[in-house]
Amino acid sequence: MRVRAGLWAVLAVVVALSGVWAAHRGRVAFPVIAMAPGHCILKTAEMRRTHMMLLRAVREDIVRRDARDTRFRLTHCVACHVERTASGRFVPVNAPGQFCASCHAYVGVRLDCFDCHAAVPARKGFTAGTALQAAFRIPRALRGSGGQGPGGQP
Amino acid sequence: MSDGSQTMEPRDEEGGGHEPDALRRKLLKLAGAAVALTLAPGVTVLARDLVVKGSGGRKAPVRYGLLIDANACKTGCDACVRACQDYNGLSHDPGPDNAQWIRKVTITNPKTGFSRSFPVMCQHCENAACVDVCPTGASFRRPDGIVLVDKHRCIGCRYCLMACPYKARSFVARNVSDQKPWAPRGKGTAEGCTMCVERVEAGKLPACVAACERAGHKGMVFGNLHDPKSAIAKRLSEVATTTIRADLGLGPSVHYRGI
Ligand code: SF4
Ligand code: SF4
Repeated sequence: MRVRAGLWAVLAVVVALSGVWAAHRGRVAFPVIAMAPGHCILKTAEMRRTHMMLLRAVREDIVRRDARDTRFRLTHCVACHVERTASGRFVPVNAPGQFCASCHAYVGVRLDCFDCHAAVPARKGFTAGTALQAAFRIPRALRGSGGQGPGGQP
Repeated sequence: MSDGSQTMEPRDEEGGGHEPDALRRKLLKLAGAAVALTLAPGVTVLARDLVVKGSGGRKAPVRYGLLIDANACKTGCDACVRACQDYNGLSHDPGPDNAQWIRKVTITNPKTGFSRSFPVMCQHCENAACVDVCPTGASFRRPDGIVLVDKHRCIGCRYCLMACPYKARSFVARNVSDQKPWAPRGKGTAEGCTMCVERVEAGKLPACVAACERAGHKGMVFGNLHDPKSAIAKRLSEVATTTIRADLGLGPSVHYRGI
């Protein structure tokens, strides 16, 4: 009898604790995936899993192998995914809650690209339109749908 | 040309290490080249530029270089320096730890009073000291002759700052913001003149050369040293030029006239 009461007590504690845990589950905000208008160069799911590998491979090509004509460029990512305020100013993609920062905060991975790289597009010259031109060199089958994204869920 | 007479092995284009065997092979190849180029007993012409490894003895198709005419460069004009700073997002202030990718230098002969002012930047050496000393392979020379820092690999040891006889490298000691998209730079890495590699690849002139032209001084010519039809190659074949400290044998891509 006493054993059974003990077991119930343990169970009650476990249930209570899981309630506390559940209440705290939302403490890291879900990422905000602001989808750029038009086509992303890869399907969302693919980009989510592989962007870090792509960027690492491509940085070698660009910096060391003189192959600047590549589809995956950090400047293109920034040009499409940067947020513009109503007054037309750019919000850096690594600012809290922005495209890059919100996911990286959620998964707890330090984002250090923008210690060196510009987190906003150049005022002149490079625009989302230029970035999208590059997208049309991507085989159609690999192209993401863009615009919608699966509900902004991680 | 004053820097064409020394014998140096051509740099391995990938910037890789020199294994003893590979080095021996290269030296043997050079010995062969020396025989081929002996004009008369005791007279051997051996230009460092001529052979690129693995190219079947052909020149690299492209080697970018500059010709700076100190006779045309105006004392007190710093259009090139400003243009470099503006284009690459560097500070205009001459602070103690601010980067200097290009600087104006004035030389004077105290005996005669002859004085010249001209810009000095990374000389994009063929046998670059910075590449030799870099422990990580971050300093490297591209096949087109432009010497860069791969900041993804740079650990900020500053060996290259010490090794470069032209004081062409700077170190970023503080956090940087407002970088230009085409010129990433950040704390803890070495940096130097990139010959405006993005502009060059887009078929434009480096920012300093364009600014000198705009200022109406025409003190700088940029182009492919290996293309005999290029403006720079033609000019180099017409006028007497030299390289700074040619005696060091680094084989700069930046040539000077009038110093
Ligand atoms: S000038 Fe200095 S930094 Fe530039 S390539 Fe030569 S040794 Fe390297
Ligand atoms: S500071 Fe960077 S580029 Fe210079 S030698 Fe060290 S690792 Fe190489």
